[in-house]
Amino acid sequence: MTASHAVDVLLDDTLLTLNRAMGVLRRRNVAVQAFTVRPCGPAGVARMTFVLNTDPATADRVVQQFHKIVGVRAVEVTTTPDPITEEQP
Amino acid sequence: MSEIMSGAHILCRTLAEAGVDVLFGYPGGAIMPFYHALPETPSLRHILVRHEQAAAHAADGYARASGRVGVCVATSGPGATNLVTGLATAHMDSSPVVAITGQVSRPMIGRDAFQETDIIGITLPITKQSYLVQDAAELADVVRDALAVAQHGRPGPVLIDVPKDVQNQKVEWTSPDVGAQHAAPLPSAPLPAAGDDAVRRAADLIAAAKRPLMMVGHGVILANAYAEVRALAEKTGMPVITTLLGISAFPEGHPLHLGMPGMHGEVLVNRAIQRADLIVGIGLRFDDRVTGNLAAFAPRAQVVHIDLDRSEIGRNVPTAVGIVGDAANVTRRLVAAVQARTCDDWRAEIEAGRRPSGGSFSGGMSPEAILTAIHDATGGVCTIVTDVGQHQMWVAKLFPYRRPNTHITSGGLGTMGFAVPAAMGVHLARPQERVWAISGDGGFQMNMAEMATMVQEGLTVKLAIFNNGYLGMVRQWQQFFHGKRYSSTPIWSPDYVKLAEAYGIPGYRVQHASEIADVVGQANAAPGPALVEFVIEQEANVYPMIPPGGSLAEPIEAAV
Repeated sequence: MTASHAVDVLLDDTLLTLNRAMGVLRRRNVAVQAFTVRPCGPAGVARMTFVLNTDPATADRVVQQFHKIVGVRAVEVTTTPDPITEEQP
Repeated sequence: MSEIMSGAHILCRTLAEAGVDVLFGYPGGAIMPFYHALPETPSLRHILVRHEQAAAHAADGYARASGRVGVCVATSGPGATNLVTGLATAHMDSSPVVAITGQVSRPMIGRDAFQETDIIGITLPITKQSYLVQDAAELADVVRDALAVAQHGRPGPVLIDVPKDVQNQKVEWTSPDVGAQHAAPLPSAPLPAAGDDAVRRAADLIAAAKRPLMMVGHGVILANAYAEVRALAEKTGMPVITTLLGISAFPEGHPLHLGMPGMHGEVLVNRAIQRADLIVGIGLRFDDRVTGNLAAFAPRAQVVHIDLDRSEIGRNVPTAVGIVGDAANVTRRLVAAVQARTCDDWRAEIEAGRRPSGGSFSGGMSPEAILTAIHDATGGVCTIVTDVGQHQMWVAKLFPYRRPNTHITSGGLGTMGFAVPAAMGVHLARPQERVWAISGDGGFQMNMAEMATMVQEGLTVKLAIFNNGYLGMVRQWQQFFHGKRYSSTPIWSPDYVKLAEAYGIPGYRVQHASEIADVVGQANAAPGPALVEFVIEQEANVYPMIPPGGSLAEPIEAAV
């Protein structure tokens, strides 16, 4: 069942690590609804946050791929039901 | 004590001090400072290939055969892009390779300079990690880190891109013997340790199963888990299936060995999978060539999946118990936890479905006869490196592998042209034993220029060509699925015997079965490289075959 998955990734704040992380999303062709990257915590650490609207299995596969990237320190997922409902005719 | 050194010298010294003893590469403009420094580190043997793709495959072959990191070197631009197929091959098959590429000087980066290419960008999806070195002072740490990352956990390729001016940059360098901070091992995340509970649940499933199977893959070879896997099989009586990259992880001829599963797996192996109520998968990823149609794969089976890579567990098949960990450690604990049992009724049920195999080959020039001759000539003490296609499947199914890690092939990426250069790396890792590179006439022609490398560098590789005048596997697909329209699959070959002669190595052509054993014996005994062309049936097929996307229950067993 589709839900919104907010994924928080703490990772090394280097262009190559950020680029590699972006590559995970690009390769899996997952639609991203929101995306931010900002410095976070100690120097040299960035937080990448993005929202995926997909089924839990797909979200989990994406998260597992993030865990494999050298330079990723932590990945957290917050799942909420799809906040948007369509009016029924 | 510290001294002033160039980046290129630091690169060479650090590689040598890390235990690297052979490099496969090709010089060019942006890597020239490195090649200038190289002769000053004589412990680094450099193998000059004829194409950078071969350097990457040779490093891959070296890594797979030695269990150590294979290193390849190329210049920027075309040199670097020529490595790409080799790096993708290593990435798909989890092989620890470090590629060192020259790059244009830092001020030129981003200006479309001569031979500039964004090799890090190009290889991002097919490398485990990459580095663009901006300062020679970082080089030693980068090299050590790259070697460690390539090998740690699930192995994979790593790329180091070094701008030319960084190679020339002079910086203060401290010998690791003096600088303790350099000698210290790199911090790395500990490998995951499986929980007792998961091992217990896996053992309970094995105890309760009526039709259990083991499926073992490349992870068993990478983890040296042969003894543990054999102990688990022998304690439980579970039949053992070896995937393409798992071949030689369990001895062929062992009463519990069943064979290879999947697209070209034997019918009884695939039928066993479809009837099994438990599959214990160790170090494999259940890829589509193994499972066929996932929805129809092993419909009655629960799956216990042991793998070092958490992302593989549950990725393709639903898992009842997933255990993340080293194959040897986890299997050892499973052996201790599991109750001794037998599977005699189940094995008898599987064996009842065994049928004689083998097709019709004119003049008796069958793959089985050829492979038997190679096995006999070497006494079984050899490593077989295969290319991709029909011959690859025949070797996988027919060669009697008894020794661990003696079958090396491009599995995941399916790279034609892999065998000849990879075998050079295998030879350097195992100089004491025979290495046979077996190719089709298509794949051989992709990288046959490496015969020159073998001659120049004195690499003893025996080359076998299964020549059927076609790109055989593609022709087979055309026969089965494309109305026998053999579009662009007939392929002309040069006179391989004359070609061998031109390279100064012995060349043989075998057209009759009666000659096979004698010629293979001569080629095997000859010093240095030798080439044997086997002229085989033109339109032979590999049977059985599961159509792509089909169920393992529906094999094609005869020509349509």
